[in-house]
Amino acid sequence: MNFTMDDIIFTFLIPVAKILFGILFPMIMVVVMVWVERRVVAIIQERLGPNRVGFQGIFQPIADAIKLFFKEDIVQRQSDKLVFNIAPVLTLASILLAFCFIPFGSSMMIGSYNLTFWVAESPVGLMLVLGISSIAVLGIIFAGWSSNSKYPLMGALRGVVQLLSYEIPMGLTVLTVVFMSKSMNLVDIVKTQNEMGIWFAFLMPVSCVVFWIAAVADTNRCPFDLPEGESELVAGFHTEYSGLKFGYFYMGEYAHMILVSSLMVTLFFGGGLPFFPNVGFLSFLHYIPGFFWYFIKLMFFLYFYVWIRGTYPRYRFDELIKLAWKWLIPLSLANILVVALIRMLI
Amino acid sequence: MIIKFIKKVFLIDLIIGLLVTLKYTLLPKATIQYPEKVKQPSERFRGLLRLYRNEEGKPLCIACKMCQRTCPQNCFDIEGQKDESNKMRPVKFDWILERCSFCGFCVEACPSDAIRFSKEFRLSTLERSKLIFGISQMYNDYDVQNHFLGDSIKAGKIKEFIK
Repeated sequence: MNFTMDDIIFTFLIPVAKILFGILFPMIMVVVMVWVERRVVAIIQERLGPNRVGFQGIFQPIADAIKLFFKEDIVQRQSDKLVFNIAPVLTLASILLAFCFIPFGSSMMIGSYNLTFWVAESPVGLMLVLGISSIAVLGIIFAGWSSNSKYPLMGALRGVVQLLSYEIPMGLTVLTVVFMSKSMNLVDIVKTQNEMGIWFAFLMPVSCVVFWIAAVADTNRCPFDLPEGESELVAGFHTEYSGLKFGYFYMGEYAHMILVSSLMVTLFFGGGLPFFPNVGFLSFLHYIPGFFWYFIKLMFFLYFYVWIRGTYPRYRFDELIKLAWKWLIPLSLANILVVALIRMLI
Repeated sequence: MIIKFIKKVFLIDLIIGLLVTLKYTLLPKATIQYPEKVKQPSERFRGLLRLYRNEEGKPLCIACKMCQRTCPQNCFDIEGQKDESNKMRPVKFDWILERCSFCGFCVEACPSDAIRFSKEFRLSTLERSKLIFGISQMYNDYDVQNHFLGDSIKAGKIKEFIK
């Protein structure tokens, strides 16, 4: 067994560094997002929001995390302790796992080595991302059931119904992207958008809008935040959680937002591609690393999440289900037909 | 009918809603950052009671105890004595903030206009004993000059007043 230096670097250090990045990037973005959300919602409501801890309050989420860390960890006597403890980990871990298929930027040639900005590449990457991130639903069910308390159970049931309803239009719209790129590999989808010279959002605006609505509902965010309905269910499925376990759910929710925004960027807005990838005189934009473009687009959609939260009132639960089953699913089915027809004719 | 349909299909109302909140992000904010910026209390604001002096700096209070008599909560404990120029002056003037309801009877009753509301609105202390104001605190000169927030201006904490 003799390893050269190159072997160690290319087969061990770089993949490990990528994995670390794939875990740390969402976590850092979660910290940033908690701050962005509080500041932006405050600004929309003509307030200022937290701006005392560090520069413009940037360390507020860290202060919150330290506070959560020192809180008492309360476990209900009647609760199912094993499931109760697994649920928050399941929610966060499943979403972090899905990040390994997201291309953070286009690949780069360094000497003879092709440095890629994704942890793993799979021919069915899209399906895997959707599938793995759906494990988070299990976390919600587990949390609601094992708490052995009425509000968490009701919140969990709402969450499950909502997630199952909105997974359908999401899956159907994702199919249209697959029709266009003829691949489920997220890297290939970005490549196809480069070759076609147009982002899929402008090619298929209906898919884009339906995907975004389903994405907001999928992450239990305003205006679809019924599983955590503050006014009627105390805090929904995580009512009985305290301390770091609650922190895990909190981080999981934000990581899910980042994951879905990443998917939106990758599927419909060209991932790490610069703006106007095919316009001749803007070709110098290709020299900026793809991660920069990915990050800008990601931040726009994360801001959009908060913007939506600051704008719209909440849906009633029956209206929420009606929206999914009477509007989004028929619309996405019709959309599939149209896209498939056009794809066949071209 | 057609307009309604178009509005629904192109999500016009939702976009209008987003533009409204976008407008509000650009508007100036209503928050006043308290320790640095302080809102000026209104004209007839009822802050802490203070004993005032006339223009020459002579105390106005003549220890007539009208305020003590009229006070519904019995906040005052006053003792007067004649000074060198044979005028009654208070030697003890305790005002108990705990009991005060800021009804303003003492201010109305005062014949020499000595006791008046200042615009000091920061009433909290860390000790209960500090809620009893002695004569020196009632004659807080710096506070009287600046009408309110004497200590903070002295310490240079407050940078701006907002009307």
